Amino acid sequence: MPRRPVVKKEYTLGERVYLVEITKGLGLTWKHFVFNIKASFRKGPHTVPTCWQYPEDRREIAPIFRGAHMLMLNEKGQELCVGCGMCAKACPAKCITVKRGKRQEGEEDKYAGKTYCSTFEIDMLRCIFCGNCESACPKGALVLGPGYELAEYDMESCIYNKERLLANYNEAKAEGKLKPPQKPVPVDAPPAPKKKPAAKKGAGASAQKAKAPPKAEGKKGEDDAAKGKTEEKPAE
Amino acid sequence: MADWQIDLIKVVFIWVWALLIAVVMTWVERRASAMMQDRLGPNRAGPFGLFQPLADGIKLFTKEDIIPEKARKILFVLGPPLFALPAFSAYAVVPFGDKIVLGGKEIILQVSDVNIGFLYVLALGAIGVYGMVIGGWASNSKYSILGGLRATAQLISYEVPMGLALLTIVLLYGTFSLREMVLLQQGTFLGFLPNWGIFKQPLGFIIFLVAAYAEANRVPFDLPECESELVTGYHTEYGSMRLGLYLFGEYVNLGTLAAITVSLFFGGWALPYVDMSKFLGPVAYGIASFTVFFLKQAFFLFLFVWVRWTVPRFRYDQLMGLGWKALIPLGLVNLFVTALLVQLTI
Repeated sequence: MPRRPVVKKEYTLGERVYLVEITKGLGLTWKHFVFNIKASFRKGPHTVPTCWQYPEDRREIAPIFRGAHMLMLNEKGQELCVGCGMCAKACPAKCITVKRGKRQEGEEDKYAGKTYCSTFEIDMLRCIFCGNCESACPKGALVLGPGYELAEYDMESCIYNKERLLANYNEAKAEGKLKPPQKPVPVDAPPAPKKKPAAKKGAGASAQKAKAPPKAEGKKGEDDAAKGKTEEKPAE
Repeated sequence: MADWQIDLIKVVFIWVWALLIAVVMTWVERRASAMMQDRLGPNRAGPFGLFQPLADGIKLFTKEDIIPEKARKILFVLGPPLFALPAFSAYAVVPFGDKIVLGGKEIILQVSDVNIGFLYVLALGAIGVYGMVIGGWASNSKYSILGGLRATAQLISYEVPMGLALLTIVLLYGTFSLREMVLLQQGTFLGFLPNWGIFKQPLGFIIFLVAAYAEANRVPFDLPECESELVTGYHTEYGSMRLGLYLFGEYVNLGTLAAITVSLFFGGWALPYVDMSKFLGPVAYGIASFTVFFLKQAFFLFLFVWVRWTVPRFRYDQLMGLGWKALIPLGLVNLFVTALLVQLTI
């Protein structure tokens, strides 16, 4: 890239006297001053637009915020976790320790699955809040919640045990900050474009029988058309 | 009440008042700067953070008092008082109100109406620089000595234009007493303007204002302090209440300069167009005149803060150039023209 020559700007007399320029600058700072003074007299949280007064104002967090973990319960109050250890495998920081226990007789109202986690520890000092554990969990039992005030006075309390994780869930539930139920992601996902026309055909087949077959036949092979027919059956 | 008792009360009042202004100014500076920069500033201690200066004062008093090992001990200790005392003393000749009648006695609201009050202020302003230079030299540190040197160099380049600007005022009013100058600024000028010094000496006012910023070591001329180059300049090695005294002296100095500006160029305690003494009682008039003076002073104190957070610092040679190449010739021309006009009109 060719270097542009430096052109020294000639100042006009008004600029060299500098007083006019200072007055312009004073006007700018005055504008900010008045704006912020007015803002600070507003009522309610978060009055000055650029600042959050932290202990009083708290930032609104997104519904999918990844904060402190929580162990979920289902609507009957049963623990969802089956202690499979998928989360521990998925964790890149290796901060999760799970031990599996078998459900005994008479514990059916406590645990949802046949097995449960007897210990569940997350080392929050090592956690990087990536959310891999959440997506790895087959039961949706481990979720990264809304909590973000994670400071502690000693290192031991930074290792969250099961009680703490369940307490996190109860706290988030009491505050109504649980994540909205998400649409289940299809587990077996072959490349999307292949399946799409077939699905389209399956859905639209009953309504537009005349249109759909030639389209499918023209574009894809017979294999796809057959797939569409097999999907058509349960719909009918 | 005897005269000396009245004088004592006035001295104590103005002393406490100067301290109070300095204390509140530290808060105003921090909050106003925050508001200008879209921040919040200290707002935790007390309502709106108003007790922050108190908390700072307690902190400064309880900190360890360190004197560097290789410092000149006596001079090191002497520095801060030498800087702060002249700033306080200059308040003695400031006419902060007209007069008040208490117990059948007419009291002039000024500690002492010295007939050379004006020169007294200038002299004390120059002495304050000794505090900086001595403190900077005694610290035995390179940043401190550079700050002190800059203070001296700055002094000679702004004291001259300041003196020239003030000379024109003396020519105009024919007196050195600040109180008489304020009295001469009553009434109107050219029929519609208030009879203030700024309308008779606009150029003198600008020169004085620029020099006042240099005198108070404020941005854009805070070269002796200069945080970005010299740590904090002449008081780098100071800590605890000695540092507090330097900072305090600076704010008291601001108060003095604002007061002088008001009494020289803005009619002191008098409202424009309105003669308050005609419809107010003698006590109420005293209080009202003091309030008017304080409001005018408060504006200039705020202007100091306002300019500080608007204008960047001048470079060293730029300040010298401004002082010697711009302000002094302008001041001389202004002096010449004023002298000519005064000579022709008398």
